[in-house]
Amino acid sequence: MLESIVSYGLAVGAVYALIGITYNVMFSASRVFSFTAGMLGMLGGVLGALFITRLGLPVALGLIATVACGAIIGVITEFVAVRPVLKNLEQHLYVLSTLAFALLVQQFTAIEWGTDAQPFPRLFQIEDSLVDQKFWLPVVACVATIVGLEILYRHTLVGRAFLAISEDNYAARALGLPEQRLRIASFALAGVIGTLAGFTGGEVLLAFFGNQSILNFYGFVPVALGGMGSNRGAVVGGFALGLFQQAANFLVGGVFAAVAVFVVFIIILLARPEGLAGAVSARRV
Amino acid sequence: MSIKRRQVLSGSAAGAVSLATGLASPAIAASEPIRIGFLPALTGASSSTGVAMNRGTILAVDEINAAGGVDGRKLELIVRDTQSDPTKAVNGVAELIHRQKVHVIWGPLNSGEALAATPLIARESMPQVHPCWVDTLIDVKKYPYAFRNAPSNQQIGVAANHYVVDVLKHKKVAVVSDTTGYGTASVEAYVPMLKEKGATVVYQGNVDAANPDLKPELLRMRDGGAEAIMPWSVNAGFLARICNTRGQMGWDVPIVGQTTLGSGQTKALLEKPEYWNKVYSNNFRNCCYGSNGKLPPRAAAFVEHLQKTKVEMGDTLLWWIACGYDAPHMIAETVKAAGSGPKDIVGYWNKLKAWPGIYGDITWTPEQHNGFPDDEVVMCEVNSFRDGAFNLAPGYGS
Amino acid sequence: MKARPLAWLEGKRTFILLALAGAALPLMDDSYIGLIATRACIYWILVAGLNLVVGFAGQIAIGWVALLTLGAYTTAVLTAGTVLPVVHPFLALAISGAAGAMFGVVVGLPALRLRTFYFAMTTLGFATIVTQVALAWKGVTGGGIGVPGPVFPAPFDSGWGFYYFCFALAVVSTWMTANIAVSRFGRGLVAIRDAEVAGEASGVSKRSLLTTVFLFSGALAGVAGGLFASLQSYITPDAFTFDLSILFFIAILIGGRGSIVGPLLGTIILTVLPEFAAPLVAWSTFLYAALLLAIVLAMPGGIADLLDVKNRRPLERHREIVPRPEILPRLLGEERENEGLSLSNITLSFGGVRAIAGLDLEIRPGEVHGLIGPNGSGKTTTLNVISGYYAPQSGEVRLGKMALPPGAPQRRASFRIARTFQTPRVIGAESALDNVKTGGMIDGRASFAESLLTLPRHRRDEADLHERAMRALTAVGLEALADVRADRLQHSELRFLEIGRALMLRPACLLLDEPAAGLSAEEIRRLGTLIKAISRAGTAVLLVEHHADLIFDICDRVTVLNLGKVLAAGTPAEIRSHREVVSAYLGA
Repeated sequence: MLESIVSYGLAVGAVYALIGITYNVMFSASRVFSFTAGMLGMLGGVLGALFITRLGLPVALGLIATVACGAIIGVITEFVAVRPVLKNLEQHLYVLSTLAFALLVQQFTAIEWGTDAQPFPRLFQIEDSLVDQKFWLPVVACVATIVGLEILYRHTLVGRAFLAISEDNYAARALGLPEQRLRIASFALAGVIGTLAGFTGGEVLLAFFGNQSILNFYGFVPVALGGMGSNRGAVVGGFALGLFQQAANFLVGGVFAAVAVFVVFIIILLARPEGLAGAVSARRV
Repeated sequence: MSIKRRQVLSGSAAGAVSLATGLASPAIAASEPIRIGFLPALTGASSSTGVAMNRGTILAVDEINAAGGVDGRKLELIVRDTQSDPTKAVNGVAELIHRQKVHVIWGPLNSGEALAATPLIARESMPQVHPCWVDTLIDVKKYPYAFRNAPSNQQIGVAANHYVVDVLKHKKVAVVSDTTGYGTASVEAYVPMLKEKGATVVYQGNVDAANPDLKPELLRMRDGGAEAIMPWSVNAGFLARICNTRGQMGWDVPIVGQTTLGSGQTKALLEKPEYWNKVYSNNFRNCCYGSNGKLPPRAAAFVEHLQKTKVEMGDTLLWWIACGYDAPHMIAETVKAAGSGPKDIVGYWNKLKAWPGIYGDITWTPEQHNGFPDDEVVMCEVNSFRDGAFNLAPGYGS
Repeated sequence: MKARPLAWLEGKRTFILLALAGAALPLMDDSYIGLIATRACIYWILVAGLNLVVGFAGQIAIGWVALLTLGAYTTAVLTAGTVLPVVHPFLALAISGAAGAMFGVVVGLPALRLRTFYFAMTTLGFATIVTQVALAWKGVTGGGIGVPGPVFPAPFDSGWGFYYFCFALAVVSTWMTANIAVSRFGRGLVAIRDAEVAGEASGVSKRSLLTTVFLFSGALAGVAGGLFASLQSYITPDAFTFDLSILFFIAILIGGRGSIVGPLLGTIILTVLPEFAAPLVAWSTFLYAALLLAIVLAMPGGIADLLDVKNRRPLERHREIVPRPEILPRLLGEERENEGLSLSNITLSFGGVRAIAGLDLEIRPGEVHGLIGPNGSGKTTTLNVISGYYAPQSGEVRLGKMALPPGAPQRRASFRIARTFQTPRVIGAESALDNVKTGGMIDGRASFAESLLTLPRHRRDEADLHERAMRALTAVGLEALADVRADRLQHSELRFLEIGRALMLRPACLLLDEPAAGLSAEEIRRLGTLIKAISRAGTAVLLVEHHADLIFDICDRVTVLNLGKVLAAGTPAEIRSHREVVSAYLGA
């Protein structure tokens, strides 16, 4: 039982963590919380199944096609739902525009793909060794993403520009950084990470349009608790959430697990609105 | 084509005339179409049944009309997609009855929608025939105009429990369902029945179908010493996960339960084809291959007919199409024999005796609106699936 | 102003037409239309309340279906008598309202602590949880099997009788929310949405106002739930889809924030549209989402903006602001107790940086006190300490003998400390008059319930506020623009508008943060006269300003700050000749 809690908990936890990072990448570049994070995760599963199972692409090609679509959708998000409302960030119109955009995509998926959960292909035709691939794939994707982001942010010029933007938008622009292009790139990157989460977690979560709302919420919980913008918080929070959920699932059953997660989420947020590791809020006057 | 989503104009015009004269004038009644209000869920979470029955229903209506209708009166099928949403079903009932002035309602096809729709249909004294299994949906006192052309949950349960306890001889049983109305109702009805038969229910639970990992539940079943799993759900993903988890655990107990266990969608979600072994779903004798590998004559002719008219059946279940096909035929015959007034229809139905459907022989009496014969409810072997039908499960050898 | 006998009708045309259409609907003798209309009424009862939360207060509550679910189950379970003794349907409906009110506060409370998106997520979470609980709590809710809906006694049991019952409740809900909309509570809610900081300075208490509105809106949702259960005849958790929640939410935004009639039309459209566009049924949520996106991007004002013909009429291009200081005594009152404001030994640092280092300041009534200094010398920070946005690390702010509580900006209004802002903080979507009325928030005597029902005290409040607001607008020279939306005004007019709003408090102390910025020379002169007159009416005025001319023209005393300390203080003449000041930045 313990083994099942750990393997499964870490797998979904990795997916949550990746969705959390997706939130973060978009937030850092634009100060926008976007409802499209869960949508990208959902699309990762649906597009993967579409490319590999339906269209018969090889796995590697299917993966590339999926994340490429993710990147494109990320860029579309930036153009359609983020840029037009950035002018007056304090009106929070982005909540509405990203919600609307995510709903559009979800409903389109529901109609064109169907409302049933559909199978996601097995990626490697190998016999299971110690742990099944559906459990270790998301974890590997999560580790690879963190390492990749670390290298990008610390060791490349573009990455440093990303960091500068996320520290201080105005100052970065004053320094002559191409803020707009970096923002587009961030949304593309978020698209890649989000779809990668759904793709690698596909065998666990299936190709299902309903995953959108689940991932939106459970991907947000770790970043809300860990502090928005903190990838470390997202990863720790994501894995903790996955394990907690799965343990609760085993010990008390599914409904109570959902209620428990939600109650903990609300209580912690009410006690510390900025998250467990977040900074204090900005100046208002 | 006489199938129209909403034929507002002609429908309401005819209705207005009959209202104005106060009584349906014979001249109009003789020529006006027979309007069948049809409430399938063609989209949404529980649409697989609706999509399949819809195929049969459309086929039947087209055939009847091509053959000249009922004494010159065409059948007019007015379809309203309930989208698997009770709210839409409630709206649909009102539209069909008041706007379209239908003569009879066929559906809804899912219990969740029927629970909301049936009381409203009954309030308007509108003849209704539906195939939903939830027991409370038939009640001659509360809903004297509602009839069931399919088995009730009770009958399904009797058959499945009989198979587990009497044929497979398992006394320790796990009963599980999703959290839908149908699922929970089934578990609640079957557990006492099993106990009565002397079996021990070692696990009983309703699990959220969206829950991606069912291993905790199956471990609880195994720890309880279950010898058979009886799942009750129309959710293919949920059922497939039960089969997959059982396979992964290398656990060799039979799975005996809901008909969707054998659907093409469930099959598509299996990780390995062999996870479908030792899975038995409930089905109906008329739509199963006998020990000779052949369907009963009526169904065999029907399948041939379906193949000729190019109706797809490999991705669904034969009995769904058959049930959908039977309803318009039965309604046409009723109107031909008794007329299209509500009292005429219900009066005829109350005396219906062994009406020979492809799906099953239907018999109704004024006291019993459950018309499906008990002994036609059987279990079948899901891995024998071909053309929407299955072999009878071992033990039904006849 | 000219009296028009039918003036009260203006802007109510749509309501009256809808009410007549609704009352006459049974003449169509089509029960299908009746059912859809009943559904629209029930949805509207919920949306009317939610409108105050979303449309007025600007809180992104997207999971309000949770309250519909709660109300539906409460009514159904109580009337069925499966758990408790059988309750009469009307009583059950009332209990659902009460339960909805309580739960409304529970769902809404996180809004007081959390940022927008976080709050949206928590309401979404609630929506999921309620359905899960309904599924799991089989003993009460029947789990997935559900429970039969309540049947109200004749003649409200079904069909048109039930329709009239719902219609009447919908009319009452409309009336009540419209009353709130034009009351000080409605203006307070809009201030929370669009100008939260200015609202706080005017004494809008976000906490108590939002709590009240969540109570009210929850109650309406609970009642709507009970009616919904009856309409459905049978309820199962799958009737309460998230799509329904989206419908409620989007109806408001399509209708337009801060409007009643817009969301009302939005609700009707969204309820009716899928019924009459059959091929689109499967696409309905897709279309809602598309509509939402289009509204947010292209027409943020929604239907209400389309209907608002008045505010599309062109304004006169060359307008002049002519303040009339002579009416100030009537506005501010003749005899006022005022001992002025004093700061003693205030220190405040951010991180390691000292913003204010031991500041003493005395602002006397009847005087204009200028506060000048280079950028970063702590002028605005001082203002923010006085108005409670920052709590100083040491020192005290006193009004007369009373020490002001450190922090607590929303409590400054009750001490009659008013202020304006460096960038004007006005509610763009409201008229100039309503903006000014917001300043009189704390003088209202009527409770929320009295305003809901327009009881006499509410009407007296509003009449009084209206009179004073018109007077304040006249005093600052904007009375001709009273009905114009604030976002159509010029920058200079906004500066005077803010002063007008501040005057509504009858301030003992008025804090002005660079009021002359962006004004023409002539406007600055008029501003000076106005400020001086305000002080002479007994107000202690603190003026932070960069325009040296204005400072030396009108100030009775001037304090020069540098690095958070007083560099010099005295009369304008003394400061002018202060060597350090002159060499530092008067530059003479």
